Amino acid sequence: MQIVFEQVLTGLSIGSILLLAALGLSIIYGTIGVINLAHGEFIMLGAYAAWALKTYVGVSLLPGLVLIFLGVGLFGWLVERILLRRLYQQPLDTILATWGIGVVLQQVIRLTAGGDLRYVELPPSMAGSVSILGVETSAYRIFIFVVAALLFLISWFIIYRTTFGLKLRAVVQDRGVASSFGINADRVYSATFAYGTGLAGLAGAIISPLKSVSPEMGTGYVVDAFMVVVLGGVQSLFGTVISAFSLGEVTGVIAFLQNDTIAKAIVLILIISVIRFRPQGLFVAKVRA
Amino acid sequence: MLEIDNLSAFYGNSRALQNVTLEVADAGFLSVLGRNGVGKTALLRAIVGLMDRTEGSIRLDGEEIAATPTHDRVRHGIGYVPQGRGILPQFTVRENLKLGTFARRDPGHAGVLEDKVFDLFPVLKELLNRRGGNLSGGQQQQLAIARAMLTDPKIVLLDEPTEGIQPNIVEQIEDVIMRLNDEHGITVILVEQDVNFARRASRSFVIIEKGHVAASGPIDTLTDDLVHRHMAV
Ligand SMILES: Nc1ncnc2c1ncn2[C@@H]1O[C@H](COP(=O)(O)OP(=O)(O)OP(=O)(O)O)[C@@H](O)[C@H]1O
Ligand SMILES: [Mg+2]
Repeated sequence: MQIVFEQVLTGLSIGSILLLAALGLSIIYGTIGVINLAHGEFIMLGAYAAWALKTYVGVSLLPGLVLIFLGVGLFGWLVERILLRRLYQQPLDTILATWGIGVVLQQVIRLTAGGDLRYVELPPSMAGSVSILGVETSAYRIFIFVVAALLFLISWFIIYRTTFGLKLRAVVQDRGVASSFGINADRVYSATFAYGTGLAGLAGAIISPLKSVSPEMGTGYVVDAFMVVVLGGVQSLFGTVISAFSLGEVTGVIAFLQNDTIAKAIVLILIISVIRFRPQGLFVAKVRA
Repeated sequence: MLEIDNLSAFYGNSRALQNVTLEVADAGFLSVLGRNGVGKTALLRAIVGLMDRTEGSIRLDGEEIAATPTHDRVRHGIGYVPQGRGILPQFTVRENLKLGTFARRDPGHAGVLEDKVFDLFPVLKELLNRRGGNLSGGQQQQLAIARAMLTDPKIVLLDEPTEGIQPNIVEQIEDVIMRLNDEHGITVILVEQDVNFARRASRSFVIIEKGHVAASGPIDTLTDDLVHRHMAV
């Protein structure tokens, strides 16, 4: 019994990291429809921002989170205004452009911050562990779970319960109709892209104490994030959550029985089989168009 | 007062409107007539700013709006009922109606649904929580008109609002359109295939052929001969 519960917690922890990494991507892909291959590098920027804030300014991780969200979000906003906006008519070009942005970001970071691994320290208040029903769990992993859940709820609230979200969903369904009712579609898309990249930055910062920070770290996350989004179904925030935690649990169990690498491979095969039979992903809205 | 001068409009590189000149007075009622594919929809889209490119001038109450982006342009008081209704399928009826309020000239009232639309279309009240995509064509059409009403427009553009709708609802929609013009003083531009309704409701007409104006004038100059020449198949 104990061991089952331990497994569940491990899965939740993996799942919450997956959700953090995928949330921004899911929102951007599900609304603007941009396949953002630079998403991993936005995560990487967040991690480096956490490191730089501590190293050069002396601001530690937790108080820095808001700054990192705003900073990376602002960067995403500029990328959208200056580059992506011109390419929406050519989806293939946006893929190339975001890939290019990713490569440039990796190099810029390598040249400025160096290619060595960097480490971000755990917030001291969360370095310990907590016992949940007799299972010792790292306090920081619980923090990640809570933050991931909160960010999901906030995003859901923005999209489904605010006027901004209503405008966003209108533009997604029919840009022409939305603008003929006074909605500035360009501005809505910039803000959404900025929010999504801000979330990526936040994810990178929060994950940074658990993993080493390097210019290439984004590559792994972007793959994970895409797996989550594709499995959950594009345009389904709810699907993204279910998919992140299911993948988390499955990865956790297989990693327990075998090892991490085999777990990754099996999960990938599982995803491919699901997509083979449900190409639209697990969750889609059912309404006549 | 809407004044259109020498307006050309393009889908990509193909010209759908050529040097169209017309004007509609305040509280006027203009019917736009013509065969399929002549550019009637293009004319309304050009007024709203949804064509890929336009040349020429569009003045609303003396203000040049041809270069203004759509979302700013409609705030001058333009309500649009597009052909095919333009109902957002995933939105509920309530959300579709709310959309109408975002283009109001007085932004303080954004989001407020007034009862006047339910007086005009009582059926919408029962459908508030239904998805737009799951309404019948006639219900969607009523929703589209109600939504345009909520923008509190000075001028409404209606693109074949009775296309494919059962006779008693057609009557109701026609009645609403005439009341908007008579009682509320809203300027109407109506694209219509039914010449009899155009004659009954409007004050002026324009017949489009191959993207340019083939005939226009006060509605009592719309002779059977003109109709026969430009609209018979
Ligand atoms: N999206 C588009 N891209 C390119 N050409 C288009 C497009 N939509 C319409 N056209 C062309 O532009 C011309 C004018 O079309 P428009 O829709 O304005 O006609 P209409 O008078 O409204 O016809 P109907 O009575 O069938 O609604 C037509 O020749 C049509 O084929
Ligand atoms: Mg048409």
